[in-house]
Amino acid sequence: MSFLRAVHRTSRAARLFQRSYAADAKASAAASSSAGAKDAEDAPRSSCPPNTVLIGANYLKNQPAVLALPDEDYPPWLWTILQPQELPDDGPGGKAEKVRLRKENRQRIRDQNFMKTQ
Amino acid sequence: MSKALAARAQQVRILIAAGKAAPTPPVGPALGARGVKSMDFCKEFNARTAHIEPGVPTPTLITIQPDRSFTFITKTPPTAYFLKKAAGIEKGTGRPGHETVGTVSLKHVYEIARIKATDGHLKHLRLEAIARTVVGTARTLGVEVVP
Repeated sequence: MSFLRAVHRTSRAARLFQRSYAADAKASAAASSSAGAKDAEDAPRSSCPPNTVLIGANYLKNQPAVLALPDEDYPPWLWTILQPQELPDDGPGGKAEKVRLRKENRQRIRDQNFMKTQ
Repeated sequence: MSKALAARAQQVRILIAAGKAAPTPPVGPALGARGVKSMDFCKEFNARTAHIEPGVPTPTLITIQPDRSFTFITKTPPTAYFLKKAAGIEKGTGRPGHETVGTVSLKHVYEIARIKATDGHLKHLRLEAIARTVVGTARTLGVEVVP
């Protein structure tokens, strides 16, 4: 689990680094987006080229095939949902603290439960 | 205050293939045991799911009143069903987090989230939040989400 987190962290760092060269990256990323998913993970562009048929999205009868749109047509938050949300620190009693405490409490319960089985 | 308590309405949650409800198990016994005429339910269910592709699993919540009348609500198919279809797999992995059995694009996730957002019990959530839950489901299935 922590290994997975480390993997996400490094790709996000690479992403931030690459955004500073947005002008150049965009041209090259567009060219290589159909080539492979490896490139796409670095830049906020999709590995799914526009007008591919999205298979899972049809469940109504006689529904026309759902096509992938070009990357610009999707809301900007879509490219960030694979990373955990960054909550700004609002000081004591704020949302960030609540989330952190909840996480710690749950982890403590899990650890205690595990220790009881030992 | 010494009136006998009226029996509560019962609820049955069941997953039925759209357009293919039949009095046979699992639908028959589940409803028959609570006094509902399964034929009536099947006809009404098939009529209400006529617009859905036949065979798509549809979660339904059936509320049965003490006088054996019933009402039911249908919801959107399970997220896992959409993800498995998009990734082209039959079953998720037995070891999530360790094994990956398929890949799905963020655009798939977006479309699946759009479908789920039509569900009544999710309409108060932002689309971003729903998309994150879809990503979570993909994780438990062993399906990797690629941008």
